[in-house]
Amino acid sequence: MDNYNNTDNKFRRYKAYVSIAGTTQFHLRNPYMIAWWSAAFPGFGHLLLSKYLRGLVLFIWEVVVNYNARINLAMVHSFCGNIELAKESLDTRWMLMYIPVYIFGIWDSYRTCIDMNKVALLAEREDAPFNSFSIGALEINYLDKRKPEMSVLWSLFMPGLGQLHIHRVLSAFFSLIWTIIFLYFSKALIAVQLLFLGNIQQATFVLDKQWLLYMPSMWGFAVYDSYMNTVENNKLYNWEQRAFLIKQFQHPNFSIKKGKVVD
Amino acid sequence: MVQVFSTFEHSANLELAISYLEKNGIHKENIFAIPLTNRKTERRLFDSIHNADGISLISTGTALGTAFSVVGASIGFRLEWGPIYWGLIGTGGGFILGFIIDLYYYKFVKKNQRLRRGKNSEVILIVDCEETQSDMVENILWHHFALGTAKIQYEIQ
Repeated sequence: MDNYNNTDNKFRRYKAYVSIAGTTQFHLRNPYMIAWWSAAFPGFGHLLLSKYLRGLVLFIWEVVVNYNARINLAMVHSFCGNIELAKESLDTRWMLMYIPVYIFGIWDSYRTCIDMNKVALLAEREDAPFNSFSIGALEINYLDKRKPEMSVLWSLFMPGLGQLHIHRVLSAFFSLIWTIIFLYFSKALIAVQLLFLGNIQQATFVLDKQWLLYMPSMWGFAVYDSYMNTVENNKLYNWEQRAFLIKQFQHPNFSIKKGKVVD
Repeated sequence: MVQVFSTFEHSANLELAISYLEKNGIHKENIFAIPLTNRKTERRLFDSIHNADGISLISTGTALGTAFSVVGASIGFRLEWGPIYWGLIGTGGGFILGFIIDLYYYKFVKKNQRLRRGKNSEVILIVDCEETQSDMVENILWHHFALGTAKIQYEIQ
């Protein structure tokens, strides 16, 4: 059940939509930040824009092609100065197809962000009503204010929990599942265990370089995505409540009286 | 008669307070809400400072933290402390560097646009009631986290 049903579609643009799967909204974003997250990991820029389908496709594309071409492994060797090892590790059967899609991800998310900023301004000025409450058999979602620090903290513990905190169910499940995959194949937790025992060399040896390099972006994205959306959801809450108060509690007969302040 | 003035932040508590007042016999016409504008928001479309809360101090930090972490974890395979420690050092170092850059930017370059930190009064709520009701009204407002209240006594002309 929703508190608003858009039956006639008489408005041109809508600012936000609260559904069982999460709160989706247009708001102003920095296109350079979106482009950067697409560069860190293809798909992240689009996920930040709430464009889930193409975000997920690009993400899975990155994991598959990068893994087979061994881009991450070559990066590790290059950063270590082992250029010959880097050359050897790359698989030329896969490598060249990496480039165009990688560039496309950055370009497309940057371009989309600028476009969506324009739509965000127009939608805010048009001020069309939107659904802000949703209850169903599987979930409940409504506009609410949450603490951005808590989103950051939970995302640091486990990518996905910060998004779960603010009911961004799709990116939460997505982040949780992929973090499990990355943690398992990189053997990062085995290495952490060895580090606790003080065995640094063994910890370094056990790590899988290719899978390990997927992980920093995963954590960074989870923190940024959950933080940004918590702040924006809070702003949407204020905006919606402001409109509600003006509409409901400004009766024309009300007059402000002059008198004395008493205790 | 009395008018009770109060200020609130935007929150569910404010709507709870209003519904509680209505339940206790205050008519809707006697409640007046004034949402305030807290900060003049600059709206320049191609400006690069459209970060999440207008003064985001973590955008550059998370970006640099991720970048430094990748490089740190890679080079860490060669260094004594290994990739995990160097990856974490990269994350922390990159984040702090980005944070300092943002802080410098907002403290010195853009200092006029900052929103005051902490609790801001976002809504003024005025309730018109009988003198006998005024204590009850004020109590309800306090119980729902009003930031401040004042009672104004006036004569009916």
